[in-house]
Amino acid sequence: MSFRHRLKAILFPLSLFSWLLLLLSTLSNTQGKAADWLGGPWPTWVTLAAQALFAASVFVYQRGRTEPLVGNDFVGLMRRLVLGPGMLATVCVGLHLVERALQYQLPTNDRTLLAVIYTINLGFFVVFLANTNYSWRSLVLFRARPRIQREWVWFEVLLGSTLLFRLLDWVPPHPFDYLILGFLAIFGVYLSGNQQWVAYLSRRQKWEAVLLQIAILLSMAVFVSYFLRIEHDPKLVAPAPQQAFLLLTVFFAGFYALMGLLVTLFNLPTAGIFEQKREEILSLQRLTQLIQRGQSEEEVYTMLFDSAVQTVDADAAWITLEDESSTRQAQHYRVLPEQTAAVHQLLQEHNLQHIEYLNNDLKSSSGFRDLNLPYGSLIVMPLRSAKRRYGSLYMLKLARQGFDRENLSILQTFASQTVLSIENLNLMNVSLENQRVQEELKIASAVQDSLIPKNLPIDSWFDISSYAASAKEVGGDFYDFLHLPGRRLAILIGDVSGKGVTAAFHVAQMKGIFHALMQENPLAKSERDKFPVPSRFMAQANHALARCLEKSAFITASLYIIDYENGGFVFARAGHCHTLYYHSIKEEVSYFQTAGLGLGIIRNETYEKHIKNQFYDYNPGDVMVIYTDGIVEARNAAQEEYGEERLHQMLEKTYYLDADEIKEQILTDLAQFSFGQPMHDDQTLLVVKFKSAQPGSAN
Amino acid sequence: MKITQHSSANTLTLSLDGELDASSSVLLDSELAKPETLQFEKVLINCRNLNYISSAGLGVFISHLQQFQDAGVKLVFFNMQDKVHNVFEILGLDALMTIVPSETEATAL
Repeated sequence: MSFRHRLKAILFPLSLFSWLLLLLSTLSNTQGKAADWLGGPWPTWVTLAAQALFAASVFVYQRGRTEPLVGNDFVGLMRRLVLGPGMLATVCVGLHLVERALQYQLPTNDRTLLAVIYTINLGFFVVFLANTNYSWRSLVLFRARPRIQREWVWFEVLLGSTLLFRLLDWVPPHPFDYLILGFLAIFGVYLSGNQQWVAYLSRRQKWEAVLLQIAILLSMAVFVSYFLRIEHDPKLVAPAPQQAFLLLTVFFAGFYALMGLLVTLFNLPTAGIFEQKREEILSLQRLTQLIQRGQSEEEVYTMLFDSAVQTVDADAAWITLEDESSTRQAQHYRVLPEQTAAVHQLLQEHNLQHIEYLNNDLKSSSGFRDLNLPYGSLIVMPLRSAKRRYGSLYMLKLARQGFDRENLSILQTFASQTVLSIENLNLMNVSLENQRVQEELKIASAVQDSLIPKNLPIDSWFDISSYAASAKEVGGDFYDFLHLPGRRLAILIGDVSGKGVTAAFHVAQMKGIFHALMQENPLAKSERDKFPVPSRFMAQANHALARCLEKSAFITASLYIIDYENGGFVFARAGHCHTLYYHSIKEEVSYFQTAGLGLGIIRNETYEKHIKNQFYDYNPGDVMVIYTDGIVEARNAAQEEYGEERLHQMLEKTYYLDADEIKEQILTDLAQFSFGQPMHDDQTLLVVKFKSAQPGSAN
Repeated sequence: MKITQHSSANTLTLSLDGELDASSSVLLDSELAKPETLQFEKVLINCRNLNYISSAGLGVFISHLQQFQDAGVKLVFFNMQDKVHNVFEILGLDALMTIVPSETEATAL
């Protein structure tokens, strides 16, 4: 057990023991039977020491007890003080009256009874003072800075040292005793200035605090008057209670109670304001919480309206809400529709509807006087953000000068908070909607992905590799393959102008057109006429698209029909990128320069004049590179385009590789070129490499 | 994209400056869609400072092409950079639209 703990454990018995010692020593001075029994008068120092020891042990014991203040329950603290130690004053008066009565009934010269009662009361008083002192300590140190805490310890030490004077029976020489007392008294007054706790009381609690502080002062007065009275009693045997310590404690406890009382009393008129501010903060909190709960716009306005009416204590109020086309009245409080209409009209005439407007003297503004309304003050608070107006809040009071600057500022806060809530709600709705659109785009993207051929045609005569990437979720590029009878393969590639969902629709349409037009015509005279030649296909596709493509949209496409039985191909280019070709016999790379107009540019029969077929007989080892403009128009950091020239050079470097490797090399080069740049357009790249005939195949 | 216009008695000249992409093509479209544009005999497009044309930009010319022909207005492009000319050529527009090297030739038409 540490010294501190041990000291704590013996303090209570010590205080009881010292009090008994004080009692006995007092009794030994009574010259009665008890004194005889105790062996005559004991030396005065015993009484003094007992007194000092008792006071010290009670104070130290009280000091070490648990903090009497629970949370912010200041009233509870004082109530416990009044109902506990405060009641000792009543006991004190009671005992005194009993003693007087007995004295009156049995007039004797025996001082024993008086001495016993005096000692008991002295004990009570010390206990009361210790309790009061340490309750005050809790109040002084409530949210106090560390400096105040240190000062309090000093105050305790100084008060304790006055006890020591008493113990040594030494009083400083004359002006010094007053100086020391005066200094300590001033110190006590200074500490009494710490009354922050009063601010935390509600109006009701302040009233309670005032009453309880009066009760404490009364208890103290009772004790003090008892001791002042008994001091002059000729029968008193105790040394004059000229105890600086008790005096100072009484002074401090009393002064603190008085200061507290006055502070509380002066704070009473402002208590209402404090509570109003508190209510405003609570309303603001409620309003803020609504944002997080994500309730409806209507609820937010209701909340704003209720909070505003309650906070500014309006006598009438309404709120109007605006959208693009109309203004409507959403909420109203003690006001008639014709009154609101009249006010609106008047404000509109002066163009005051959409600005913050405060009129605290309606009766002297001619416009309002003519309306004959019973109200004296009006606030109009617009609800608006930087982007749009949501409406206005109107508040009326009967009294003139009904609204102050604080009302205006709290309404401003309410209004901006509300607008924030509404915008948050809208943002949330928009983001939900966006999410839904994103989901749908994902589906569209998946659907479009399923339109891209997954299985590339495989034959011993050629080797195909493909690559496709969309800049957005859905793209405007397309390619497709179709096996035709007679060992022929149709390859379609194209690009719809524009991007996104509209483009994606046209892609699907083109695919449908491709599959519909590439059907066998049973009426065809020759085998070769059973399927349309590319130029015919383009003319038919143009005709089909003419009716459904919007005016500014067009589609570029190239259709290749490869006849690998005869080692040749025919193609038509409808405004699509030129075909890059490696001629193995000539060992040369070049673009096929053919004319051809994009689909949807001319939407009549004359289109067919603008499209040509090109025939070519290929040789094994030839390479055909088909692509969309996303490849050649990809940009680098300097905003230069990749270009046909670079693509040309790439094929010159890679023509001898497999189709797959050629494609990879081109894409790697492209990626290096456009490193760090966003993808502006969809990219599609097909590489077809013709191979020599496999053994056993027809040729 | 900046569009400057200059008109004389029967000719409207639009000078395009910058990149004609999806957003700027809206500007051009509203310019060409003005009813008074069809009052001129010739609409000349100066492409000297046109650095890039997107499919949306081409779409604007394409969508007005028929209208201009019906109204008998000649649409002439001049001073076109090779890069941009190539785009017109690939799409086959060079066969439909009049593209001449310089303003002198454009006015002489």
